Amino acid sequence: MSRYTINRRHFLGASSLLLGGAALPSFAWGEGEPIKIGTLTPLTGSGGPYGPVMADTVKAVVDEINAAGGILGRKIEVVSEDDQTNPEAGVRAARKLIDVDAVSAIVGTWASSVTTAVAPLCWESKTFLATVSGADSITELPHQGYLARTQPNTTLQGRKFGEFAVAESAKRVFFVSPQTPFADSQFQNITKAIEAGGGETASLIYDDKKPSYRSEVDELLRFNPDAVIFGGYAPDTTVMLKELYRAGYQGKKIAFAYAVNEKLVDSVSAEIVEGCYTIAPSSDESSTAYQRLVELIGVDKPDPYTVQVYDQINLILMAMAAAGETTGTAIKDNIRKVSQAADGAKVDNARDGLKLIAEGKAVNYDGASGPCDFTDKGDISDSSFRYEQVRGGRLTLVKIA
Amino acid sequence: MSILLQALLNGVMNGALIAVPAIGFTAIFAVLRYPNFAIAAYATIGAFAAWWVNVHFGAGILPALLVAFAIAGCIGVGAEETALKQLRGAGALTVAIGSIALNTVLENVVRLFFGNDLRGYDLPLVPDWRFMGLRVGPQQLQSLAFAVVIMAAVFAFLRYTRFGKAMRAVADNSDLARLKGIEPAHVAVMTIFLGAGLAGVGGVLIGLDASIDPLLGFRVLLTVFAAAVLGGLGSIPGAVVGALAIGIAEECALLVAPASYRSAVGFAAILLVLTVRPRGFFGERAN
Amino acid sequence: MLAYLIFALTIGGVYALLALSLNLIWGGIGLVNLGLVGFFALGAYASALLTGAGLPVLFGWGGAIVVGAVAGLVVTLATARLRDDYLAIVTLGLAEVIRLVALNERWLTNGSDGISGIQAPLKSALGNQGFNLFYLAMVSAVVLVVWLVLRRLDRSPYGRAMKAIREDQELVGFAGKNVLGFKVQAFAVSAAIAGLAGALYAHFQSYVSPDHFQPLITIYIFLAVAAGGVGRPAGGVLGAYVVVFFLELTRFLPDLVPSLAPAQFAACREILVGVALILVLRFRPQGLLPEQIVPAPKS
Repeated sequence: MSRYTINRRHFLGASSLLLGGAALPSFAWGEGEPIKIGTLTPLTGSGGPYGPVMADTVKAVVDEINAAGGILGRKIEVVSEDDQTNPEAGVRAARKLIDVDAVSAIVGTWASSVTTAVAPLCWESKTFLATVSGADSITELPHQGYLARTQPNTTLQGRKFGEFAVAESAKRVFFVSPQTPFADSQFQNITKAIEAGGGETASLIYDDKKPSYRSEVDELLRFNPDAVIFGGYAPDTTVMLKELYRAGYQGKKIAFAYAVNEKLVDSVSAEIVEGCYTIAPSSDESSTAYQRLVELIGVDKPDPYTVQVYDQINLILMAMAAAGETTGTAIKDNIRKVSQAADGAKVDNARDGLKLIAEGKAVNYDGASGPCDFTDKGDISDSSFRYEQVRGGRLTLVKIA
Repeated sequence: MSILLQALLNGVMNGALIAVPAIGFTAIFAVLRYPNFAIAAYATIGAFAAWWVNVHFGAGILPALLVAFAIAGCIGVGAEETALKQLRGAGALTVAIGSIALNTVLENVVRLFFGNDLRGYDLPLVPDWRFMGLRVGPQQLQSLAFAVVIMAAVFAFLRYTRFGKAMRAVADNSDLARLKGIEPAHVAVMTIFLGAGLAGVGGVLIGLDASIDPLLGFRVLLTVFAAAVLGGLGSIPGAVVGALAIGIAEECALLVAPASYRSAVGFAAILLVLTVRPRGFFGERAN
Repeated sequence: MLAYLIFALTIGGVYALLALSLNLIWGGIGLVNLGLVGFFALGAYASALLTGAGLPVLFGWGGAIVVGAVAGLVVTLATARLRDDYLAIVTLGLAEVIRLVALNERWLTNGSDGISGIQAPLKSALGNQGFNLFYLAMVSAVVLVVWLVLRRLDRSPYGRAMKAIREDQELVGFAGKNVLGFKVQAFAVSAAIAGLAGALYAHFQSYVSPDHFQPLITIYIFLAVAAGGVGRPAGGVLGAYVVVFFLELTRFLPDLVPSLAPAQFAACREILVGVALILVLRFRPQGLLPEQIVPAPKS
């Protein structure tokens, strides 16, 4: 937990600093103020299981870039704030980041409500906002380009869930989810895919604060599904998985990778999640970004949110370098130049990218969560998906497609 | 018909989960006369304490429950003595508000040391038994049995032991109790230990079904209140009956109402019952 | 930095209205509304929906006041026969039900997406900076007016009757006063003020969602009223500004304790809020501005 635990990453970072440091003049970043970037992640409240490691990941990337010389000769400083999974508190935190710290970009907003609340402050103050929120409405906001998200929208994800269920020869698919901004459209898109494959669907929206869902599961079982798709987050999905196991449900289980993540798999007995499939946006198989991230933060199976925030910070740093300036507007105008330049050299991390940019070359970042190509609205235009399955109590890669 | 029967059964098992912390909450109310919101944190602390001995020392469910009871009870007494005791003079509402603040503090102390990550016991989950088309969870039956045994024990303790009688005496009239040689301060400590400890036990039972994280207690707080209010604040059997009633109401409501309104069912049940019986099922006369 | 101050003062004003609302019933008549955030939500949604349907902003605010008052009436009448500690728990449940309705009734409230693009009055004419200043002035003016009215009330015979109910409602009942009537009126007015605060907040932020209305705000307002002084309107207002500045100042502490991870620091911030409330209740139960009991005029 503590940032001061000695681990491999720090050790490597420190030793590279020692080796390379001798060559660097000691005033290497004496030039100007540090560049500030804010993280606004849920550290308390219902998003609490996700936010801390997101904040740590941004810090890890920035530490690495600082150790390699920073950007434009300046050091980067990360200011972390807690959105408390609450838009009221999130707005207060964002105002502080924008008005006092004068950050160029805010990364990592998680709850769709927090993102929607914070987005206007960002575009009004010309601060760039990168988010992992899933609500389709977010990229419809009049954000003038100051917003980008790495989470695929629900049309794409819903279809993938449905198609995967069909490919697994499921005919009767049940969708259980708490009331999220994307539950509805997710279900519609799943249904479209399943019905195209000749199957049938049903859904149930549950109250996500309860310690048991017995009657909900009875209703689910009455539908007699051969696959269940989970739309919730880790804490409520845990309860639901336990109920299904007790009720003797034998069919297939498919969940978002952020719900059935490494933490969940480790926290329950193996038989409860055994065989559960997870789906997460991913870059194609050849990309090495995911592996780099695993090594950087020392987490075996990073959460999709962690993976996305890693891409966000890499892109933002490279966009600033490509622009030769560090404002939010510069990031807005240049992020697509580093994310999807047709003639750019493929890179999977900002350290390599920054070197190429310094040499005046174009780069095209392919991240850990996907190729990270953005539409004009700020949605990612396409992504492969990473399918994993819990086998023998461990998440195991099935395919990337 | 079997659907309704199954829903009733589910309700009993769902209610059993809430019954134990509800007993803890109502016991504190019975003696100290204020609604203690910190029981949410005590439940969380109990769940974490049990997790600690279960994962690190391989403790089974019974020793884990005992540890949870003891640790949540001790922390409850410590917190009450340092933070809330001095507020009692200012009235029940002040203590209640203090307990909300205390709950925030304790929840975040847990977060500070354990983080937000999900945890779970290293205990096997037992599949439901099925007979005549109905399914029953052995673990939920176990929880129900715990709730009933605890209720009986607490009830007997209050009725037949000297200390228990002292607690009831203090609840009725603390000045009179003092005249009779009962020290209300000792009784208060004992009550908090019992109440917080029971909340801790409830936290473990909830942790068996849900995930263990700093918000475990907070998520069920409202239902626990609803159970205690429904049964009549301060009544031990009332807490159990109230919890079962809320559990049954929630599960049966699912047959007619959307599942997303589950939390509202408890609230509707309170309003309904209190309109007819302003002091709940077993509530005492107004003081 | 200036923009941040302006923002903090505006939020302070919204909190101040909530504190005035709570103070009226807690300090005034001795009832506790643990569902304050629910009435705040009702006002915010009422105004967002009314202005969204094309009505002018002032109409939305009026609507928020009416909706708040009606909800307050319903709650007190529905719980009239209950002891006061039951009322506290019922209001807590009510706030959760209001949040659930906002979350699930998508046709009305747009569900968990929330309602964005709520009209910000005069924003296009004034620009961002101008709007923020204008809104601060307006919220402050509303706080001033509500405060003056409540202070007047506090010192009137009506206010004294309320406080008598707080101290001993049976006695006041014996004296021939309609205790329930006082309670219902006070609760309705209090709920109306909370509704107005919600409307002001909604049009300032241009966005409301069910996530906004979690119990945390209620805790902050209790801290504000307890710190400022229960039973004195000025106390609640001062307490609200103090709480906002306290919440915001704690953000700057990581510079002092750099060894904590972000999540640990976030936990410490919340611990500080809780500890502050307990300390205030214990060491300065009368608050920064203690209640003034105006002697009854000699007749």
